[in-house]
Amino acid sequence: MKKDLKTTIITLIVILFASVTNAQDAKYVAAMKNALQSFNDAKTGADYVAASNQFERIGGIAKTEWLPYYYAAYSQLINNTTLQDPNEKDAVLDKALELVGKAEILKPAEGEIWALKGYISFMKIYVNPMARMQNGMGEAMGYLEKAKALNPENPRPYFVIAQNTFYTPEAFGGGKDAAKPLLTEAAKKFEAFKPTNEMMPDWGKERNAMLLADCK
Amino acid sequence: MKKLILFFTLFIIIGESQAQTMINGIVKDAKSNPISGVSISIKDSYDGTSSDSTGKFTFKSNESGEQWLVFSAIGFGTDSTKIILKGTTLQLNLILKEKLNALNAVTITAGTFEASDSKKGVVLNSLDVATTAGAQADVYAALQTLPGTQPAAGESGLFVRGGSAAETNTYFDGLLVKNPFNTQLPDIASRGRFSPFLFKGTTFSAGGYSAVYGQALSSALILESKDLPEKTTTDVSVMTVGLGIDQTIRFKNSALSIGGSYINLKPAFSIFKQETDWNTEPASAGGTVIYKWKTSKTGMLKSYSEYSKSEVSLNTADLNSQQKSLFSNTNNNFYTNLTYQDYIGNDWKIISGFSASNNKDIGLQAINSYGRQDRLLQGKTTFTRYIGQLSTLKFGGDWLNSHRDESWNGLSRAYNDQLFSAYAESDIFLSNALVARVGLRAEHSSYLNLNNLAPRLSLAYKTGKSSQVSLAYGEFFQNPEDQYLVQTNQLGFQKATHYLANFQKMANGQTFRIEAYYKKYADLVKSTPNLNNNGFGYARGIDLFWRDKKTFKGVDYWISYSYLDTKRDFRNYPTEVTPDFGAKHSLNIVYKQFFSKLKSYVGATYSVASGRPFYNPNAIEFMSDKTKTYQNLSVNVSYLTRVFNKYTVIYASVSNLPGFKNVYGYHYSTDGQYREAIQPPALRSIFLGMFITIGDNTYKN
Repeated sequence: MKKDLKTTIITLIVILFASVTNAQDAKYVAAMKNALQSFNDAKTGADYVAASNQFERIGGIAKTEWLPYYYAAYSQLINNTTLQDPNEKDAVLDKALELVGKAEILKPAEGEIWALKGYISFMKIYVNPMARMQNGMGEAMGYLEKAKALNPENPRPYFVIAQNTFYTPEAFGGGKDAAKPLLTEAAKKFEAFKPTNEMMPDWGKERNAMLLADCK
Repeated sequence: MKKLILFFTLFIIIGESQAQTMINGIVKDAKSNPISGVSISIKDSYDGTSSDSTGKFTFKSNESGEQWLVFSAIGFGTDSTKIILKGTTLQLNLILKEKLNALNAVTITAGTFEASDSKKGVVLNSLDVATTAGAQADVYAALQTLPGTQPAAGESGLFVRGGSAAETNTYFDGLLVKNPFNTQLPDIASRGRFSPFLFKGTTFSAGGYSAVYGQALSSALILESKDLPEKTTTDVSVMTVGLGIDQTIRFKNSALSIGGSYINLKPAFSIFKQETDWNTEPASAGGTVIYKWKTSKTGMLKSYSEYSKSEVSLNTADLNSQQKSLFSNTNNNFYTNLTYQDYIGNDWKIISGFSASNNKDIGLQAINSYGRQDRLLQGKTTFTRYIGQLSTLKFGGDWLNSHRDESWNGLSRAYNDQLFSAYAESDIFLSNALVARVGLRAEHSSYLNLNNLAPRLSLAYKTGKSSQVSLAYGEFFQNPEDQYLVQTNQLGFQKATHYLANFQKMANGQTFRIEAYYKKYADLVKSTPNLNNNGFGYARGIDLFWRDKKTFKGVDYWISYSYLDTKRDFRNYPTEVTPDFGAKHSLNIVYKQFFSKLKSYVGATYSVASGRPFYNPNAIEFMSDKTKTYQNLSVNVSYLTRVFNKYTVIYASVSNLPGFKNVYGYHYSTDGQYREAIQPPALRSIFLGMFITIGDNTYKN
């Protein structure tokens, strides 16, 4: 009987622990879904800041998950596109870099993180291209090349590079003609790509298609 | 057993069912302005929200009891407060302090124009310097479009706020450059020796500069060289004035660049009629070696060396004999520097450097042979201690050994001076909006056997999100010029005291600056009746600057205006007058536009300045005559293309396109009977160049 009791207690503890963990997982998933909903519904810069804050809060609790910080950074990246003042843009992009840096510490071998880091680095250059182009391009390209190396199937680093080429003046080696083959390659990668679950990054496809259409 | 299960079940149920608490509130900054986008949350829980545009927030929490409420926002710090959750609605008033950081903190702008690629709040970047029309990629000529300076005349250098050219000194990575210009020819301003593409940052101080620098009465030009180049490249330049080639080899943590150039102005000068009577048009050959080594994550070692040799010969008019008078010059220049910087721990930074230069001129002046040699050795070390988030304490010392010897028909004289300096300066941030810079510099000259002590003080206060006021005061000492020091050591330091007040507003690609100054000169060198320090003077004025990159798409322009009122008694002046380098009004309009369809970058610079005084021996009053108004319109075009599939820039510029006839002053014969106008060597000048970059096919400008 005593032994039974012991087994029961252990079983119960295991069940309890599992249920707490499950509850935590469930809470995390629920919180992420909620935040992704805010992100998808966001329209203004303030909406993206709120979404970023929401993701960052989740990152503070779910300490082993890289996705919250990843989305927090990505939300700030989009927030940046709604701003005009270069100082504000810089502050927001610095925050985005800090957030993606936190994701990087949690999962350094994740290609998605490096693709986003490269994207943010490009955006930093665009704040003051004349001044930052020369020293910043190599660094940004390095992150994107690393993203490709970690996961050659991930379409996002290809898309980010193609988009950068699209917006670079022809005189500096960019333009539609130079971007077209890159966008086409990215489009193929997007066709083949399936995110492993519904929370994983899955952005860029529409924009890539839009830019490609503009090249024709 | 059943009880136990019941207990656990209860435990789980209790865990799930708690009363919700409503938390409402508002977040404001220290000045009671609402802050939007603040993240507010209960520590260690998923509960939280963000403040809206009026700073208000509301959210529900399932937590209970004593909890920490954490709140933070971009540009602000993170703060927290203890709250008790028990189901009743909470109403909170939160205050979040602005974070002290370089992005929103005030900066000292009095007297200073910074051209940098990395720092915030800069008025120009290094490319602006290189692309200013009329400047032909000469750092000094580009700076002449900024307020407080005078347009180029027949003398090399920067004339800043009533100061002579000798009152501006150039610093390369913190180290004084003794001969930053090619040799001065009679009445012809010469170019700076350094290419603007060597530097990532240029700080031009028109007054009130830092105690880290000395030996310049008016102005300091501080050039900061670039870090590691990214790639291995070969750059080839083919110009109407000569050829150049540079090879840069990038290693893992270091890079070596070796370059050579040959310049000959004869072909270019043959296009336009030359006012100057050349025997041998200026020609020079030179080489540079640049080495950079990233010694650690934070450490950087840089070295720059150059050697050049130039030759020129021309005739000037001897007005007394009404005959031609020969002038010839051969110049040998060697310059080298080595600097190292690194952080020691988190709070200390060290910058240490050494430089050496040797500049030798020989030639003929009429039938006389002359020679001049300048040698300079310098060592300098500065320590910076970071205090708190932004404040710093800097201190250090430098040693300058200057030697000059001059000869005239075989007779020679020389001097040798060791100048020891020690300095300390602290930037004290009293808040994000208020900074004080307090500095002190002490110098000892072995040759003069004298000491000086120069206090410096600046204050800056942020009056709005994008505007600020700055005040500066400082004392500046400078040794007498070499031509006097070779004659005697019975002279003292010359002195200038600066007072500056500045207002600057910078927002959305537009910059407005206004600065008023008063400068008092004392102990200037006079050469009559014999050499003494009895000279004195003043300069006061207002500088205005407006730059706009926003109003017209793809267009960038700036307008600078300077008003100058100055008088001085120095050199051989009999009385206190406005010197020949003091134009009362100067105006510059610089325009740049990029045409992306044409892949062309077009620029124009228009300068106008009121006449300068000149000495007419026939006039009753000394220096009472003035030249007519100076005007210049220069244009340039850069076309980006490919040659042999290599990225290429084709550049063309014309100086003084409309052909304004400018006169900088007059030379008179001793009896006053004859005079000759001092003019530029030609009415117009043209420059064509093709710059090819091999090995870098992406994004070099």
